[in-house]
Amino acid sequence: MNHLRVMLGVYKQYWRINILTTLEYRENFLIWFAFTFIYHGSAVLALWIVLNRFPSMNGWTFRDMAFLYGLWMLAHALHNTFFSTVGDVPDHIRDGEFDRILVRPLDTLFQVIATPGQVFPDELILALITFTAATWYSGVQVDATFLIFVPLIVAGGALIDLAFNLFISTVAFWFVRVDALRWIVVQLEQEFTRYPISIYSRGVRLLLTFVVPFAFMNYFPARFFLHKAHESSMLPAGVGLLTPAIGLGFVAMAYVFWRFGLNRYSGVGH
Amino acid sequence: MGKGTPSMAMIEAVGLRKVFRSLERGSGIWGAVGALFSRTFVDKVAVDDVSFSLEPGELVGYIGPNGAGKSTTIKMLTGILVPTGGKLRVAGIVPHEHRMANAANIGVVFGQRSQLYWDLPLRESFELLRSIYDIPRARYLENMRHFGAILDLDRFLATPVRQLSLGERMRGDFAAAMLHDPKIVFLDEPTIGLDVVAKEAIREFIGTVNRDRGTTVILTTHDLADVERLSRRIILIDEGKVIYDGSLERLREEYGTHRTLVVNLAESYPDVVVAGTEVVSRELNLVRLRFNRRELTAEALIRRVTERYKITDVSIIEPDIDSIVRRIYLEGYHEGTIGAPS
Repeated sequence: MNHLRVMLGVYKQYWRINILTTLEYRENFLIWFAFTFIYHGSAVLALWIVLNRFPSMNGWTFRDMAFLYGLWMLAHALHNTFFSTVGDVPDHIRDGEFDRILVRPLDTLFQVIATPGQVFPDELILALITFTAATWYSGVQVDATFLIFVPLIVAGGALIDLAFNLFISTVAFWFVRVDALRWIVVQLEQEFTRYPISIYSRGVRLLLTFVVPFAFMNYFPARFFLHKAHESSMLPAGVGLLTPAIGLGFVAMAYVFWRFGLNRYSGVGH
Repeated sequence: MGKGTPSMAMIEAVGLRKVFRSLERGSGIWGAVGALFSRTFVDKVAVDDVSFSLEPGELVGYIGPNGAGKSTTIKMLTGILVPTGGKLRVAGIVPHEHRMANAANIGVVFGQRSQLYWDLPLRESFELLRSIYDIPRARYLENMRHFGAILDLDRFLATPVRQLSLGERMRGDFAAAMLHDPKIVFLDEPTIGLDVVAKEAIREFIGTVNRDRGTTVILTTHDLADVERLSRRIILIDEGKVIYDGSLERLREEYGTHRTLVVNLAESYPDVVVAGTEVVSRELNLVRLRFNRRELTAEALIRRVTERYKITDVSIIEPDIDSIVRRIYLEGYHEGTIGAPS
């Protein structure tokens, strides 16, 4: 109980530092913000161009895809806002800064997540606006199920992102540099969350469902809310609501791996 | 070595050992490429059977050349690394088994790495540490007042850390490490890169904290002046082993037996030979003679020299701790074998 109080206090302090640091470099922040805007804007524009030529893709219209993208963007922005510093662990291991984390009386993963990394909730705010607009535009029915499950699904999607971020960072306990691995996973996520996975081959679908379950960040939930369960898919519509469980499950696995990596770092058994 | 009973000791290390295992790797590009596929491991013993015990309030210099095992020992004491073998207790706690409980008891200053937030006023870093260590408000204010006074922090509390001089930053880092009243502080090269004035301020602070608060201090350093100024006890480590553990005075007495007489000759002599001395160096008419103070007094030696040579000037150089330690690393430590007490 006391521990929880301390962690909350520290978390608040970390965010304070986070925001103060970001504002210290206003120009840098504004450039980042412009980039975020252009990045997501051009992704949506690309979708619009493609679907202008082919009115629908496997039964998905531009309106459907806007919802698909908005859902992913929100989950991803939630991860980037609260968990992105997990990706800095390899740098901390390399420059020795990780030792500092180990000589402080707090859980290591908590510190890694809470550490200020010049994050500002700008992307999250942009994502919220985009998602709200996309929901309205796609005509998804906002009922009780939607209001209860969408927040959970978005949180679950952020946890899926966190799980892979943590998994890759943990690999750095062995190999120190993990840029290549991170690049592959980031590309995989970006490429395969734009379109409904039903357009891909069976192998890719299985990969995105069971191995790197990015399909649970947006495809399966979107399929549920857009009532597209009938499309050639191996799984029933209800799996679209499983995202929170999938997210928790993968984070739990990544955490076990993280503990294993920490032991390796401190040289257990040598 | 160990004084007092083990349960009283602040740090108790018995047979501490750390072995690092790494992939064998040849030299050059082909060696590096080969290492991609290699499965052969090599073991490197970084710390080998290190034992010592520290009483509460002691201030000890932990000295050794690069790669001697200093940092590895400190990393085991702070709970960063798990020992390969041996027993270790820090304030009654096994560090790697209870990392967080141990962390609350210790303060760490890594001289080459700051824990302060670069872009923010110094004060913000202290506020954060107050939360991390859950320091009661009154205690925090009292410590800030105390450290503010002895480290003269108040002048730059509102300055972003990136604008501080190295000396000011270091003072900030010291206060940061001491804010939660740790029982033990580990100072890893605390004066590295500082100018003379800043070094002196830091030494003063370490001494004050050790004396007034009874904080146990372990100091690893290259600068033996830090040790000479601060600690009575030093532990010398080389190639992972403790080669000396004891007082500075004893070391000086056993190893600092050789003084040097510097002689300015009035005329140029082809050869300078004086019984009971050894010529260390000779530059034209400047000759350095090393002699054992237990066998020969300076007065007797000067007499011997003036009987044979015409001189213009003499002076005596006393052995400094730096040269004593350098000599031990070169020759190894042999208790009582050099200049045995009469």
